[in-house]
Amino acid sequence: MRFGDLFQLSLENLWRTRLRSSLTTLGVVIGIGVLVSMVSFGTGIQKNVTEGFRESDLFTSMEVLPTEIDLEDVMSGNIEIPEGEIRPLGDEAVEAIRAIPGVEVAFPEVRFPVRIEFGEREARTHLRAIPSLMADYRPFTDLPHGRFFENDDEPSIILSQRFLRNVGIVVAEGLEGSGGDGGAAEGGEASAGEGEDEDELVAVPVDSILGREVEVVTSVLDASGLLQALTQGMSRATDMPLREETVTLTVIGIQPQLTGFGGSRFLGGVLVPTGTAEGIPRLGFTSIWEALGPSDDAGGYPSVYVRVKTMRDLETVREAVEEMGYGVVAIADQLEEFKRNFLIMDALLGAVGTVALIIASLGIINTMVTSILERTREIGIMKAIGGSEGDIRKIFFVEAATIGVLGGVFGLVLGWVVTRIANVFANHYLRPEGFAAVDFFFIPLWLIMGAIAFAVAVSLLAGVYPAVRAARVDPVQALRHD
Amino acid sequence: MTTILSTTDLTKTYYKGSIDIPVLRGVSLDVAEGEFVSVAGRSGSGKSTFLNLVGGLDTATGGRIVIHGAELSAMDRRELARHRRDTVGMVFQSFNLIQSRTALENVTLALAFGDHPRRDRRRRASEILTRVGLGDRLDHTPGELSGGEAQRVAIARALANAPDVLLADEPTGNLDSRTSDEIVSLLRRLRDDGDLTVIMVTHDEPMAASVSDRVLRLLDGRLVEETRAGEAP
Repeated sequence: MRFGDLFQLSLENLWRTRLRSSLTTLGVVIGIGVLVSMVSFGTGIQKNVTEGFRESDLFTSMEVLPTEIDLEDVMSGNIEIPEGEIRPLGDEAVEAIRAIPGVEVAFPEVRFPVRIEFGEREARTHLRAIPSLMADYRPFTDLPHGRFFENDDEPSIILSQRFLRNVGIVVAEGLEGSGGDGGAAEGGEASAGEGEDEDELVAVPVDSILGREVEVVTSVLDASGLLQALTQGMSRATDMPLREETVTLTVIGIQPQLTGFGGSRFLGGVLVPTGTAEGIPRLGFTSIWEALGPSDDAGGYPSVYVRVKTMRDLETVREAVEEMGYGVVAIADQLEEFKRNFLIMDALLGAVGTVALIIASLGIINTMVTSILERTREIGIMKAIGGSEGDIRKIFFVEAATIGVLGGVFGLVLGWVVTRIANVFANHYLRPEGFAAVDFFFIPLWLIMGAIAFAVAVSLLAGVYPAVRAARVDPVQALRHD
Repeated sequence: MTTILSTTDLTKTYYKGSIDIPVLRGVSLDVAEGEFVSVAGRSGSGKSTFLNLVGGLDTATGGRIVIHGAELSAMDRRELARHRRDTVGMVFQSFNLIQSRTALENVTLALAFGDHPRRDRRRRASEILTRVGLGDRLDHTPGELSGGEAQRVAIARALANAPDVLLADEPTGNLDSRTSDEIVSLLRRLRDDGDLTVIMVTHDEPMAASVSDRVLRLLDGRLVEETRAGEAP
């Protein structure tokens, strides 16, 4: 018998018992749907993290620290003031790192708190110095609005979308319907500004933000105030010997939104070119740690960001830097472990779907065996008019496979629909938190093919016993059968 | 005349636990090409078993069946399926049509097993159905047909793959006498029209005698008597 005939016969048989066939198929649909949504969640998270890493250049970048540091402690969040020898990371060290072959960019972390006056409103945030060299690297290659720095001394500033929200502004496109608590700052924002009031968010066109001048206000030690304090003693806590300095900068760009995965370490706060940042007066320390640190070497940076040409350079550069006596943190170290963990996660998620599919396959066996009992006479007739055992076997096999294919295809559709809905819900809760919309689920081609192939394979396996049993039906008995 | 079917000392025994039930106890006969032979006997005489053995639905316990020069006992299951498909066509007392399929579809199913090209099947099936007098009932399901019509569909299906031998097991057993006459006349006419050999099993000896060239009587698994047409029983 030809395949076309087998297929047609199978469809006819399935159609004849359509309620039972569709319920059986539904079992496969649900099994595959569960499998697809589970695995696509695993692959989606993996894709997001990996892409997040790549986007923030984590595979080609490292952080140089003034001392050797145990990565395990960093990963577990257990950061203590490192013991052992501390080698200050000064400008000379930065120069030396820059000279290592394979290093493309190396610049120290310069980051300090500022208050920014934006028209009538103001907000506290932190300022980060970024060299114009970074123009070629993500995330600065694709600023959503405006441009990046062209040189290190231009009086320019790049704002974050969260900062704008803190002064009551949203860029006038998208972001509608964002409710919730915008104050739950994530992704490196130093502090929520005073100006933040979700109800007063005003949508403003980009053009009226770019080109605008803002005042960057910093606190510095006031020499005369200090003298006064020393001579008269500090009578009140508010009499700190500080005064404020103001620098005016022009807004030239707006940073992309933070995503939930691997968001760049440079985003959040405001960005200023390195030369310009140097010219901004400030206290001689950026953090309590630095203030209380054993070294009062003003040239000692907390860390140096290093970007290498390719992933392969990472190892050689790391060795050279470690030889200099500094500590290196590179996320790429963790890649293998991440991959292994994802594999375990995928396997666990896949196992849940597989269990569902196994139950579905029992449904197939049950349906097919019932079908054989009902069609015993018909099988006998087919044998009497020339159907071979192979023909009979194939008819039942193709029926099982048809259930598998239909179950696989519709299961895939079900899985897709479920993941879309779940994604909408997940983003609904995350977007107000300041994250860009993220696709949590990813259905790659191999999953599509694999799911259908798996459904067919399971169905065929489930069809083996019924098919063999059908082929063995004794025609003489069957034709006597009522 | 050439012999198309020859059985030699054919035996069939069913085993039920430790009890042997001999159904055929050595049946030897020859059937010539184009002959219309009836096998008569009471129920339990082994006549249906004989037909099932010749039809390749069942296998003999002993003896030989040679049909068209090929020995059935030497055939494997696949060859037996081909034998059922190409060499013999079977008609049963209870018609054994597939209820969900129309007359035409019942016939085209046999053609599908026969690997006939798809596009020829409908034409060939309706040709055969017209030949048995059902040209206007092609699209009716067995439930919509009378007993006589259903049996005609079964005959058409048996002839679909152009067999050499038509094996009819009590083809009139479920029909009234007038319809029975029509069916046996149809079998006779089909034999007369072509080079078809017909072996019919029946308990109705007078009817058998009226259409057959030869009537064989089977009793307790043995051939006991043979009457040629025109001879007195």
